[in-house]
Amino acid sequence: MFAFMETPPFLPEQASEFSKEYDVLFWYITGVSALGAGVVYSLLIYCCFAFAKKEGVAPKRILGSNKLEFLWTIIPLMFFLSFFVWGVRQYDVAINPPPEAYDREYTVVGKQWMWKVQHPTGHREINEITLQEGVAVRITGTSEDVIHDFGIPAFRSKFDVVPGRYTSAWFKPIKPGTYHLFCDQYCGQGHSQMVGKVHVLSQENYAAWLEGIYRVRDGKNPVDGSPAWEGRKLFLKLQCLNCHNRESESRAPTLEAIHKSKRALQGGSTVVADDTYLRNSIRNPMKEVRDGWKPIMPAYTRAQVTEEELLNVISYLKSLKPGDLPSRTESSPAPVGAPNVPDPPVSPIPAPTTGGAR
Amino acid sequence: MADILLEPARLDYTPQMLPEPEVSFAAHPEHKHYLNHEYGLLSWLLTVDHKRIGLMYLVSVSIFFMFGGIAAGLVRTNLITPTGAILELDQYNKAFTAHGTIMLFLFLIPVIPGVLGNFLVPMMIGAKDMAFPKLNLASYYVWVSGALFFVWQLMVGGLDTGWTLYPPYSSKYSHTNVLYAGLGIFITGFSSILTALNIIATVHKMRCPGMTWGRLPLFVWAMYATSVIQLLGTPVLAVTVVMLAVERLAGVGIFDPNLGGDPILFQHMFWFYSHPAVYIMILPGMGVINEVLTCFARKNIFGYKAVAWSSVGIAVVGFLVWGHHMFLAGQGYYLAMVFALLTMLVAVPSAIKVFNWTATLYGGSITFQAPMLFALGFIILFTIGGVTGLFLGTLGTDIHLHDTYFVIAHFHYTMVGGMMFAWQAGLHFWWPKMTGKMYSDFWSRLAAIVMLVGFALTFLPQFAVGYLGMPRRYPNYPPEFQIYNVLSTAAAYVQGIGYIMPIFYLGASLFFGKSAGNNPFKATGLEWQTSSPPSPHNFESTPEVYFGPYEYAVADGLKIVPLNDGKVRDIKHEDPDLVSSHEPAKEATHGS
Repeated sequence: MFAFMETPPFLPEQASEFSKEYDVLFWYITGVSALGAGVVYSLLIYCCFAFAKKEGVAPKRILGSNKLEFLWTIIPLMFFLSFFVWGVRQYDVAINPPPEAYDREYTVVGKQWMWKVQHPTGHREINEITLQEGVAVRITGTSEDVIHDFGIPAFRSKFDVVPGRYTSAWFKPIKPGTYHLFCDQYCGQGHSQMVGKVHVLSQENYAAWLEGIYRVRDGKNPVDGSPAWEGRKLFLKLQCLNCHNRESESRAPTLEAIHKSKRALQGGSTVVADDTYLRNSIRNPMKEVRDGWKPIMPAYTRAQVTEEELLNVISYLKSLKPGDLPSRTESSPAPVGAPNVPDPPVSPIPAPTTGGAR
Repeated sequence: MADILLEPARLDYTPQMLPEPEVSFAAHPEHKHYLNHEYGLLSWLLTVDHKRIGLMYLVSVSIFFMFGGIAAGLVRTNLITPTGAILELDQYNKAFTAHGTIMLFLFLIPVIPGVLGNFLVPMMIGAKDMAFPKLNLASYYVWVSGALFFVWQLMVGGLDTGWTLYPPYSSKYSHTNVLYAGLGIFITGFSSILTALNIIATVHKMRCPGMTWGRLPLFVWAMYATSVIQLLGTPVLAVTVVMLAVERLAGVGIFDPNLGGDPILFQHMFWFYSHPAVYIMILPGMGVINEVLTCFARKNIFGYKAVAWSSVGIAVVGFLVWGHHMFLAGQGYYLAMVFALLTMLVAVPSAIKVFNWTATLYGGSITFQAPMLFALGFIILFTIGGVTGLFLGTLGTDIHLHDTYFVIAHFHYTMVGGMMFAWQAGLHFWWPKMTGKMYSDFWSRLAAIVMLVGFALTFLPQFAVGYLGMPRRYPNYPPEFQIYNVLSTAAAYVQGIGYIMPIFYLGASLFFGKSAGNNPFKATGLEWQTSSPPSPHNFESTPEVYFGPYEYAVADGLKIVPLNDGKVRDIKHEDPDLVSSHEPAKEATHGS
């Protein structure tokens, strides 16, 4: 899915309008720097060879030259000031959105360690943001806990997400594809797990995505607002994925396609994984331990997961088909997502007025 | 045409031409120097001799460098695979924090001021000791006690905030030993302040007759500029750390927005110290380079005044650029503009220095012993470190590069490629003076080359992966970045071997090394005009100085003709009357 196919892999993708402008300045500075360093290195090499010690040649006594000092003060300064002026112009572009971007205002809330994104249409995403090609959007962010940084390398966009204040950026995606979303400001244990995906869709696909028809990932995913979608959030937040994932099957079974499957238990009996079995496995995992695994699953009491929440988690488990489970590796990472402070009672994101698609 | 007439000058510029007295323990048991004039543990622990204190710093910072290096090795090894090869997430965070805090507060900041500054500043200006010898000893112990808090903090579980300690993570969310580390920073800061005070007083009051400001070796100028920064900047860091501790302990809202504070305030205060702190780290290194380059090129420094004043310029303007660490942190637009402009201005003096060093080589008679190789390595690496700083100081380009591996590579090129190489250059240059012994020429040159190649290859891939967007402080990363990280780690091991080599050949030189003689590199500095190792009070009698430093051309036998009649009692550094017999007109009259 990476759009790296078209640009050489050693250069970052240019996926927004700004990224093209950005790269011009970047390569301008690179060129001037290479020239400057080249001059220094050539002189250095020349001097080292030309003036290596020779018998009978005494060193000269040279004290300096005001002319030269003046030259190599003024010439670098001129170049540095050109960087500055161009850089300010570009910074100006980066922080001042075009007027139409204000009509498409996204919000993002960072918390240890996930991104919660809300669309102007009311759609909500976690660790993902789906955008329409060619439409400028503004994104405003804040943090629930520590300082994070919302960075999208392919857009050359980045801004610190600071608790207690709003910061913002804007971008106009110009190239459909899937790109990285990183947290760039160190935020604790799961800093490197606080990553996600940016999906840029063409106009038709985006319209289909809004209707819930077009999917940005393989596999079937629960739809925004459904019990399974709520359950998926809990599944990530409770760190179920740390053991129940496809990458490290030594600790726990993956839960894909578990519903209605036959489970061999320790002691030789077999049960069908119905709703009650799933419930028992969470509330009282010792009751029926799957054959071949150690009984290390912790019991989740009502204090940790309410009955309502448990229903949601079970609906999510029931919805899991092979390949649906988010991957724990960085190619498509999942958040660690366990807050070490109690969730605030009221989310700063207002509840969506128009529910999710379908 | 008369030969140079320096009649009363006590500076012996041609020591190697005279049959040099062998200085060694065995041959001359009566030679009492600072190492053997008294024995016993207490004679070291309670010494007020600046040279012994310098050696105590040398041992201490080397131990901490080793710890910091081990932490770096863990970090690099873990990054071999995209999901972390050896460490859990928490362990990785603690490893990179340990690497950062130890290398900065316990190695880079104290290393050159503590070791070379202590050892050399009094000798270079012809003094018997520092202005306040007991304060000097006190500053060592203050530093050690601060360092012990770091050690304690590591032993009881480490710190995971990164060396930048940004709240509210550090003030509320981190469960690690922020307070111990804060105490360590606070206390070692006082050591910096005391050392700085001492050096400033020493340079002002202890210069020997004839050692005017215009004749100070440039290393002393650099140390002076560094000390001014330390004296003015470090208290701000102490205040910041206290505020952080108050918030963490008592819940007073200073930085945490939930308590009514502002996290950006911390960043302003932190960088107000920590940006000048990078100049605390690099300026002494630049000072060392001046001494080494002139000696091995046998040249006067090109543009003494430009180099000296560029140090001062860096020190002053360096205080006004801290905001370039916060372009994306939510500071104001116009504030960011001012900081960006000042950042471009502070880049100029560094560029001037690089050009002057290169020009110094012109017309020289260059030899390539280990100190010179390290110094050349410094210029090569520092140039890259300098120009990549421009990307980060430019407002537009910083947006994408901020907090990526590009930043990591940039500051390692300046701090390690710059400072570390300068430190090695200085250590190798003055080692014969400190110990009286010469190390292996072959192994030391080899170590310089191994370090240079290993270093350059470690951090070049990081520029590339940073431009691709890999964020710093990531134990896990997308798989397409793996190739860069593997390259970087492989070269880091080579670099590590380079750092281990000096332990062996320098250690061996202590026991098996040939006696170095008083002035093995035929250098002109005052510190070379006394015995090696120096006597407890440095000089047999107070030296007098008649001309500026770096008169290598004269020392190497260049005939100087005083155009005005009479003896040359006072060669002014920029004296236009001096014409060399080899170069009748142009070069020598370019007096600045």
